[in-house]
Amino acid sequence: MGSKTWRELAGDLKLFLWNREERTCMGRTATSWGLILLFYFVFYTCLAGMFAFCMYVMLLTLSPYTPTYRDRVSPPGVMIRPYLHGFTIAFNVSKRSTWQPYVDSMHRFLAAYDDKVQEEKNIECVAGRYFVQGGHEGEEKKACRFKRSLLQSCSGLGDPTFGYSRGQPCVLLKMNRIIGYRPGAGVPVSVDCKVQKGNESDLRSVDFYPGNGTFDLMYYPYYGKITHVNYTSPLVAMHFTDVKRNNLVPIQCSLKGEGIINDVNNDRFLGRILFTLSIGK
Amino acid sequence: ELEEKYGTSISKGLSSARAAEILARDGPNSLTPPKATPEIVKFLKQMVGGFSILLWIGAAFSWISFGIQFAQGAESPFDNLYLGVVLALVVILTGIFAYYQEAKSTNIMASFSKMIPQQALVIRDAEKKELPADQLVVGDIVEIKGGDRIPADIRLIFTQGCKVDNSSLTGESEPQSRSCDFTHENPLETRNIAFYSTTCVEGTATGIVINTGDRTIIGRIASLASGVGNGKTPIAIEIEHFVYLVAGVAISIGVLFFIISVSMRYKILDSIIFLIGIIVANVPEGLLATVTVSLSLTAKRMAKKNCLVKNLEAVETLGSTSIICSDKTGTLTQNRMTVAHLWFDDQIYSADTSEDQTTQPFDQSSQTWTALSKIVTLCNRAEFRPGQENLPVMKRVVVGDASETALLKFAEVVLGDVMDIRARNKKVAEIPFNSTNKFQLSIHETDDRNDKRFLLVMKGAPERILERCSTIMINGKEEPLDSEKAEAFQTAYMELGGMGERVLGFCHLYLPENEFPDTYPFDTDSMNFPTSNLCFVGLLSMIDPPRSTVPDAVSKCRSAGIKVIMVTGDHPITAKAIAKSVGIISATSETVEDMAKRLNVPVERVDRRQATAAVVNGMELKDMSLQQLDEVLCNHSEIVFARTSPQQKLIIVEGCQRQGAVVAVTGDGVNDSPALKKADIGIAMGIAGSDAAKNAADMVLLDDNFASIVTGVEEGRLIFDNLKKTIAYTLTKNIAELCPFLIYIIASIPMPIGTITILFIDLGTDIIPSVALAYEKAESDIMNRRPRNKSKDRLVNEQLAVYSYLHIGIMQSVGAFVTYFTVYAEQGFLPTTLLGVRVNWESNAINDFEDSYGQEWTKYQRTYLQWTGYTAFFVILQVPYLTHGMLRCFQIRTSFLTPRFQYWFVAVPFAILIWVYDEVRKLFIRRYPGSWWDKNMYY
Repeated sequence: MGSKTWRELAGDLKLFLWNREERTCMGRTATSWGLILLFYFVFYTCLAGMFAFCMYVMLLTLSPYTPTYRDRVSPPGVMIRPYLHGFTIAFNVSKRSTWQPYVDSMHRFLAAYDDKVQEEKNIECVAGRYFVQGGHEGEEKKACRFKRSLLQSCSGLGDPTFGYSRGQPCVLLKMNRIIGYRPGAGVPVSVDCKVQKGNESDLRSVDFYPGNGTFDLMYYPYYGKITHVNYTSPLVAMHFTDVKRNNLVPIQCSLKGEGIINDVNNDRFLGRILFTLSIGK
Repeated sequence: ELEEKYGTSISKGLSSARAAEILARDGPNSLTPPKATPEIVKFLKQMVGGFSILLWIGAAFSWISFGIQFAQGAESPFDNLYLGVVLALVVILTGIFAYYQEAKSTNIMASFSKMIPQQALVIRDAEKKELPADQLVVGDIVEIKGGDRIPADIRLIFTQGCKVDNSSLTGESEPQSRSCDFTHENPLETRNIAFYSTTCVEGTATGIVINTGDRTIIGRIASLASGVGNGKTPIAIEIEHFVYLVAGVAISIGVLFFIISVSMRYKILDSIIFLIGIIVANVPEGLLATVTVSLSLTAKRMAKKNCLVKNLEAVETLGSTSIICSDKTGTLTQNRMTVAHLWFDDQIYSADTSEDQTTQPFDQSSQTWTALSKIVTLCNRAEFRPGQENLPVMKRVVVGDASETALLKFAEVVLGDVMDIRARNKKVAEIPFNSTNKFQLSIHETDDRNDKRFLLVMKGAPERILERCSTIMINGKEEPLDSEKAEAFQTAYMELGGMGERVLGFCHLYLPENEFPDTYPFDTDSMNFPTSNLCFVGLLSMIDPPRSTVPDAVSKCRSAGIKVIMVTGDHPITAKAIAKSVGIISATSETVEDMAKRLNVPVERVDRRQATAAVVNGMELKDMSLQQLDEVLCNHSEIVFARTSPQQKLIIVEGCQRQGAVVAVTGDGVNDSPALKKADIGIAMGIAGSDAAKNAADMVLLDDNFASIVTGVEEGRLIFDNLKKTIAYTLTKNIAELCPFLIYIIASIPMPIGTITILFIDLGTDIIPSVALAYEKAESDIMNRRPRNKSKDRLVNEQLAVYSYLHIGIMQSVGAFVTYFTVYAEQGFLPTTLLGVRVNWESNAINDFEDSYGQEWTKYQRTYLQWTGYTAFFVILQVPYLTHGMLRCFQIRTSFLTPRFQYWFVAVPFAILIWVYDEVRKLFIRRYPGSWWDKNMYY
């Protein structure tokens, strides 16, 4: 055998690409290529058909209103607003440009909770118990009103800067939606915040709205976005009225209630949320 | 003269000072071990061979991206660190595995050094001294006695009945007598040299050391053996080819998608991680281990059939063997002399030579036979060891040389209790065989009480015996030996000799009672009795007969397209006779010489091409050029090489290999070891073989039976076929592992299967089904095919790659994707939602990711779902093989995150499809051989 020179290799390659004598291109004649391409065309068409058919059958088995399984999505996770890039809320009271984006984010988010919008689309429900709606699965479901004004000093109505201009920022906390989930098993889930791994005295006082920082039962269960069109997630506003300034204060806010899990190491957003406040003068 | 040449004195020996001087010059009298590659180098070689280098690159990339991510402070950089560690571990573990396998088969010099005698009796400073043998120097005077190992190459200057066993050196099975006479130019043939490491069987001798250490004959053979490069085994070449192919695919797809992902504005870092994934998906990490395991399973199976395989890869080599160079003695033959023919009453009778003879079928009614049998029984010094009465005659141990043993056993089979007959015919005088007389004689009383005559019986070289005879016995009557009868004798002698048999003549004489009364004092020194004018009785010829299983085995090799060549140190005539009787030279074929004889023309004028057979003498071989040898090997299908030396065996093997053949060599002696080593597969004899031969060989036949080789060939071919299936299976998986990556990159869906999961499949679950394929049964025509052509019938050919990659692989991927989409859809993510979702899906910050139903997911919940997807995907890759009914329990156990049971059913239609498709493929191949379908679909 031995090694061939480049020239020979090039010659071989050329012969492989187009063999004049046998009229073959890459080792196959025109008919051979035709046959093989036809074969693959038929083969892959059939395969694609089979794929489509299987997917179609599979989709037929699904309900459009409720996913077949909900075990991976519960218990609920937690998110905060304002949310810009990450979980650090840092601003200087004196510099408007540092906190204005947070305020804008809050306003955008709360637009859907405007009292007018809520009154127009949603109904007033009986507080303190689950709002279970029977009837056919496909019927449109009513949503309960969650008016912005319920958030009181964090509603942005009285103070359009949500306290940011005074160094007393509001942070909204919302629980992830899960179809059919009834949090707390009859007792409303509440929110509590504390300093995580740090000096407890850095966070001296927090006010919770509405009520004592609870998610009222009437907002549950959720019925899915097709039938529960106007559903707005209930919120809890946390008003950090006295936080140590010029300091990074790590805060953990967690849900408390029956069936809530908030101590999974791997998932730091399951039933709790970690964020940092850094308020400068 | 000798004293002068070696600067020594026969009576006084060397002086210690002089000896020390020479020792300093020549070095100690021991074999230098070959320069061993340091173990660490061997180990490191394993670490970078095969796919390892690709995986190292993958690991390096993982660590680089870890470094970058860590420096950037990303949230979970450790994934890449772990991936790199896992990849490195994979390489190291497979490397250790391979290294361990290799280390088991490299200790050739060990047995050579084991053969070195420990002590030698040396004359130095006119004193006899015991010295360690490695202190011997040229010129030393050494004394040897029976049972000693010869400490160096020695020129004998004084001997007394000295015999040496040269079997380990030359392959001659009988002890050779040694004297001081120079008898042959060739040092190997001459009588006055005893060789290093051979054994002195009996007698004593004194000699001058003429060569020590590596300069001895055995030292030269040893250096020849270790100097012979061990080429790559065919399967190693095939696997290398496969590695190149897969690595080529991996790298080209990897680079292609790296470019694609970069141009799709993925971050370079992400693209690198994709690249790692593609490499990992493409490289069948577990395959090399699987191959090793499959080979060792076959090796185990072969060991049960008496083929012990030392070098695992040799298992397959035997299957691709196209030429077997077989040694004669012990391999093709039984390695014991047996009476094959008799001549008396002017007629040749054949005797049964099979291994387990109990009777002899020839006509025993003649009076002449009675006389002949008496001579055979009485004129014989061999005896059975006592206490073996229950053993079959052929299995009993005999004290005596080879031909006497043959005669004894022959007589025992035909006549019954030989020892009793001897006791009844008491021996009164005896002259044992010696090389000057060339006969053996004894005088007995007869068992007939009325007959007081003594019976003189004699046997020996036929022409010498005939010289001493004046009459010949025909049908029990003595007739004068005229020229006509002498002619008949000559014809018979030539004919038996022509069959390569050792012929002995037998004669007797009843001594007249009046001249030799009861009390006559026979004196063997003065020979006071007649030793001429005897009565010639008959001839017996003996041969080392072929094993009964060999002819069948040879014909099986033939039908399997394997050429069997005999290479022996024996005489051409004997070699040819054995070759004919076992079918190496078939009944119808002729050598050039035969043709010349038949056509009655000189040898030169015969057209060499018409002769299918050839018998080549070592002397002729010596004068041949390489081209001539090639011509011989090419033109003749049936070849016998006789009188060959170790070097010539090597040349023959090389010649065969030049023809592109895969050569198997069988042998047992030290002289065979270079050829054994050089051969693609060396096969040593387990019982008769010397340690050196066993060490040089890749395989040992525990029962010394050529027929075992045929079994080996069958197993070897089977493993090749089965490895093909294994590889087809593995490559199929590769596509199903690769597709997810490609679609992940292009469609930005959540990752369908993780890199670690792929490793888990390749190294964990994949191995067992792959190994199970090693148990597949052989096709019915496996032994009627020609051996595979090394350059054409590859382990992995285009069809196999195309079929596994583009047909089954794609089908499996499609099935897996259906499952993947099912898992996500049932949890709330419909297929349409998944497309293009990758960036948000993988964002750590988004913890309220909305699915198709409006539910919100945290990052970890999504990741957990993704793992469920991995598991489902993983399970689905196994399902098609479940439908084949394989390994059901196994896969259930390996699903680490128990997926929902029904996912298993999602892929069932695809499993059935794959199964049906493969069966249809096979059906069409069987139905329409040679068709377009066959050409494109058969691998």
